Amino acid sequence: MSSESNEAPSLQRSGFVVRKERFYGRLIAACAVLTIAVTVGIILALSGQALSFWSQISPIAYFTGTSWSPVIAQDYGVLPLVSGTLIVTVFSALIALPIGLAAAIYLSEYASEKARSILKPSLEILAGVPTVIYGYMALVYVTPMIDQFLPFSAQLIPPGVPVLPEFTLVMPSLGTFNALSASIVVGIMIIPMVSSISEDALSAVPDSLREGGYGLGSTKFDVSTKIVVPSATSGIVASYVLAISRAIGETMAVTMAMGMSPQMPYFPNVLRNLAESSQTITAAMVQIAGADSLGSGPTYEAMFALGITLFAITLTMNILAEVVRRRFREEY
Amino acid sequence: MAAEESTSDQLGRSTALRIQHLKGRLFEVALVAATLVGIVSLLALFAQISSDAFQPGSASATWFLVYLGTLVAPTAAFTLYARRRPAVRETNALAFAAVFGGLLFSFVIYAVVDALSPYDVFTYVFFASLPPALVVAYDRMTDDRTYTGPAIPASMIVGISVAALLYDLIRGPIGIAAEWIMYFGLVTVPAALLIGALTASRRGRRSGVIAGGVVVIGGLAVAVASIVTGTNASFLVVFFSAFVVPTGYVLWRSVRTDPEGRTGVAGPFILLGGALLGAVIVGRFGIQNPDTFLTPTLLLDSWDGLTASEAGVYPQIVGSIVIVGFMAVLAFPVGIGAAIYLEEYAPDTGLRGRLATLLEVNISNLAGVPSVVYGLLGLALFRRTLGFGTGIVFSAAGTLGLLILPIVIVSTQEALRSVPDSLRQGSYGMGASRWQTLREVVLPEAIPGTLTGTILALARAIGETAPLVIIAVATTKYSPPSGLFSSATALPLQIFAASANAKPEFRHGVVPAAAVVLLILMLLMNATAIVIRNKYGREN
Repeated sequence: MSSESNEAPSLQRSGFVVRKERFYGRLIAACAVLTIAVTVGIILALSGQALSFWSQISPIAYFTGTSWSPVIAQDYGVLPLVSGTLIVTVFSALIALPIGLAAAIYLSEYASEKARSILKPSLEILAGVPTVIYGYMALVYVTPMIDQFLPFSAQLIPPGVPVLPEFTLVMPSLGTFNALSASIVVGIMIIPMVSSISEDALSAVPDSLREGGYGLGSTKFDVSTKIVVPSATSGIVASYVLAISRAIGETMAVTMAMGMSPQMPYFPNVLRNLAESSQTITAAMVQIAGADSLGSGPTYEAMFALGITLFAITLTMNILAEVVRRRFREEY
Repeated sequence: MAAEESTSDQLGRSTALRIQHLKGRLFEVALVAATLVGIVSLLALFAQISSDAFQPGSASATWFLVYLGTLVAPTAAFTLYARRRPAVRETNALAFAAVFGGLLFSFVIYAVVDALSPYDVFTYVFFASLPPALVVAYDRMTDDRTYTGPAIPASMIVGISVAALLYDLIRGPIGIAAEWIMYFGLVTVPAALLIGALTASRRGRRSGVIAGGVVVIGGLAVAVASIVTGTNASFLVVFFSAFVVPTGYVLWRSVRTDPEGRTGVAGPFILLGGALLGAVIVGRFGIQNPDTFLTPTLLLDSWDGLTASEAGVYPQIVGSIVIVGFMAVLAFPVGIGAAIYLEEYAPDTGLRGRLATLLEVNISNLAGVPSVVYGLLGLALFRRTLGFGTGIVFSAAGTLGLLILPIVIVSTQEALRSVPDSLRQGSYGMGASRWQTLREVVLPEAIPGTLTGTILALARAIGETAPLVIIAVATTKYSPPSGLFSSATALPLQIFAASANAKPEFRHGVVPAAAVVLLILMLLMNATAIVIRNKYGREN
């Protein structure tokens, strides 16, 4: 008691404590800055080897070449790989985008609390299954299952129609490796990407808009499709872009199910692209990594050139998604 | 009044409205179908893959009847009984977690330590934990806390460095001791300390010392008994300390303190007992077992690409666990630190505020970078720049660590954001510094959320294949990795490599079985994360 009144306790923290706190602050700031270092590291690692590749193979030949055969013919044209990636991306998007949006609408507008609590984690599992298992299932189960119903042909334009030529759409039977089963499993695995981000966007639409719609006598269907979904367009589009970006970067499933034979697309019978094997950018990287462990030479460096191509595409799409989300967001 | 009724009646019956109604219903049905289609098709594929792995068609009908009677019916009856009683249900869940978690934990500990050499692990763990223990003891004795915080990690680093420098000198004398003594030091001593501390906090110091002593003596007794009978003393010591002791403690406490729910303890034992009883009956009467591919050979042997009955994925499972475990050590501190900086330290405005915005954008971009690109980064960083060997554990763990860093950061940020600001203000109001507030108030509140996110990141990492292929991790190895710088292998890689094998007993047998093992590992992690999220999400 007396000592307290005689000398008030110092409220100043000791120098060591202050320095300690500052040190901790800097330490965790360093952790955060490390993420920048990762990005810089990716860009440096990819561009160094890729530039060395492009000094041997002209970038024009790389970007416009229509034949990819790095080991046998020393052809480094990326277009067949881009075509393979596009095929998988387009068809998986055809599956995942409508289904994901519908699931998002159901979860946000229709589902009861209990259904939501079961369905949301179950949907998340779709994205959590290792892609190597998706690839295996596509190769061993999906392909034979679909192949039962093939070949299939439909005469879109019958003979005798003026001006237009006769055209029959033919879906040939599937090869062991084919783009269709790969697209299906990639589509399944990106559904949660669409549904969870879209659902966040739909849930963020304020209830007053919905109530306004009901007050005007709209049905739930009208409120969902004509008020809530349009209000959340920016989030939905962002989710689409992110899901497509994920499909472009998907590796194991397409490597295992779609095979390793790079192919320019077939026209006009687009379905043939689905039935046959081709190769994506990512699968070509896996093939080089698996075959070439020398660590030098243009084939090895081509892997980095492919990597930077892929990185540029996905980075652009991710930034695009962010811009869409920020720019076109409706503020409530 | 009557007129009004008739108009509403007319409205109700009007065709346009009925069409509207029908359209709404159809729309809802379509939405439900769309939500379910992905889940159902995945379940169908899971069913196919597990049917290939287990081959249930090859079992006789009696086999199903026996297990229906011994395993399924009692478990189902007990689950029904527990469902109506919340206390029983909760104890049942706890008992399940304790029994099966302890079982899994003891197997994993033994397999990993055995692969890395128990003597090495003991040496490093001993030297890493002794100095911090001394620091804590000094802190307790003198009550001088100023230096404790920074001294603990610093002394740990000093201890590990000393062990690494004097490795040759220390390893000799330690190598003289029997192998089980290493496991005793690694598992039994911590278990005894943990049980002692838990008991001490509830029933006083004396009981704590007694409880710890009982565990130590029990461990010694198990070791002696197994040496006398000539069984594997190391494994039994681990099994006792990592399974029997914690499970026993949890169950004993439930029985003692929870009179309402104490019957729930029986749940896991009904399941295990039913399985054992079924096996005994099946063996006794010579009933046809299914020709399952998920055999002990698969789990405990190495890969044989020629004969399916002798192919195993033990090195791959242990390799995956070692890689993912070391990855957690590398990535989680950095990820959690970065999240703390962004949520708690970074200002909103000024130059540093802009830096923080840049960091956020950068992290969300990193999360979208394809995993195969991280493989190239790992290749360039670990093999080219640091000159490490091809496909070693360190590179694999580092590469996966960089890959999951954004996931860890984002989930930790969410957990930190959900801690109410009033707690922080209260802590500051009592004179706590920023670091003290963080350590004593914010972080304990954010632990469940962080844990959920980190476990999900682990589940993601254990299935990652593409980056490991790119950094040229070996697919088939005949022994698990023996250290951080020895060459690694992982379960998903083996599945990838073996998918090219078109022999039916591989394509529709061993490989699906390996895939089922991987799926079980991943689903267990996901389930743990969901349980933690639901449990703590409800309380808040």
